[in-house]
Amino acid sequence: MMIMRESIVMKIHYGTAIGAVFLVAIHIMMRMTQDFHESLEYENVIANYEMIGYAILLELILILISVHGFNGLRVILLEMRQGPLYEKGVTYGCIASMIALVAYGSNTIIKAHLGIV
Amino acid sequence: MEKESKDKEGIKGWINPAKYGKFGIERFAWILMRITGLGLLVYFIGHIIETGNILSGEGAWNEMLAMTQTTEGHVFLALVIGMCVFHTGNGIRLMLQQMGYGIGKPARPDYPYKPQSLNMKGKACIYATIGVTALAMWYGIAVMFG
Repeated sequence: MMIMRESIVMKIHYGTAIGAVFLVAIHIMMRMTQDFHESLEYENVIANYEMIGYAILLELILILISVHGFNGLRVILLEMRQGPLYEKGVTYGCIASMIALVAYGSNTIIKAHLGIV
Repeated sequence: MEKESKDKEGIKGWINPAKYGKFGIERFAWILMRITGLGLLVYFIGHIIETGNILSGEGAWNEMLAMTQTTEGHVFLALVIGMCVFHTGNGIRLMLQQMGYGIGKPARPDYPYKPQSLNMKGKACIYATIGVTALAMWYGIAVMFG
């Protein structure tokens, strides 16, 4: 069963890559606004999570890289071996892993933003 | 059946260094794209789990941070920077090539059958990406150890 046309999947793959490059650049530059080690201190990291704009940025990075990363893994695994059952297993396995990672990361972002620590 | 099993090299086919000589820098970029992609995915999963520690309080965060604030941790992060920059640079090259830029004009395949797409523009992009990757790793090391 085909979930989505492969050409559409690759457009999503490239779109998520371009989006992630810009957002990760902002994420890294946030570390450069102060001393690198100082920026990783507990209070500073919590302060970052509490900023709504930064929390949204982190959530977007989480989604974009998860989609791009697990689709990339799917492509690599499909290059190595083919077969209807194998392809279905790889596709659904990657989607499930992606959803699990986004859920875990979102849990951290939402709770840290709301101060539930 | 036997021929099929011989053709299926799998990961051994990826990492066979003899193939770099046969196919050139493009083959090297192809395998490095996959290795850096897998490496970055593993790092990303680890990073999400690591940052999830912040919910366990300041003690757990500092304990996790102490593990990364070592020489080995910094070297590992420099490798992550390198993987990230190479994957990005080479990815942009691939996207542009798939849109038709820098792959030359179609021509009749004459001996020695050199593909138009494997030209100097592509090779120069790969070498430039490797150079930028080295610079980014050097800058990252300077910041982390500075």
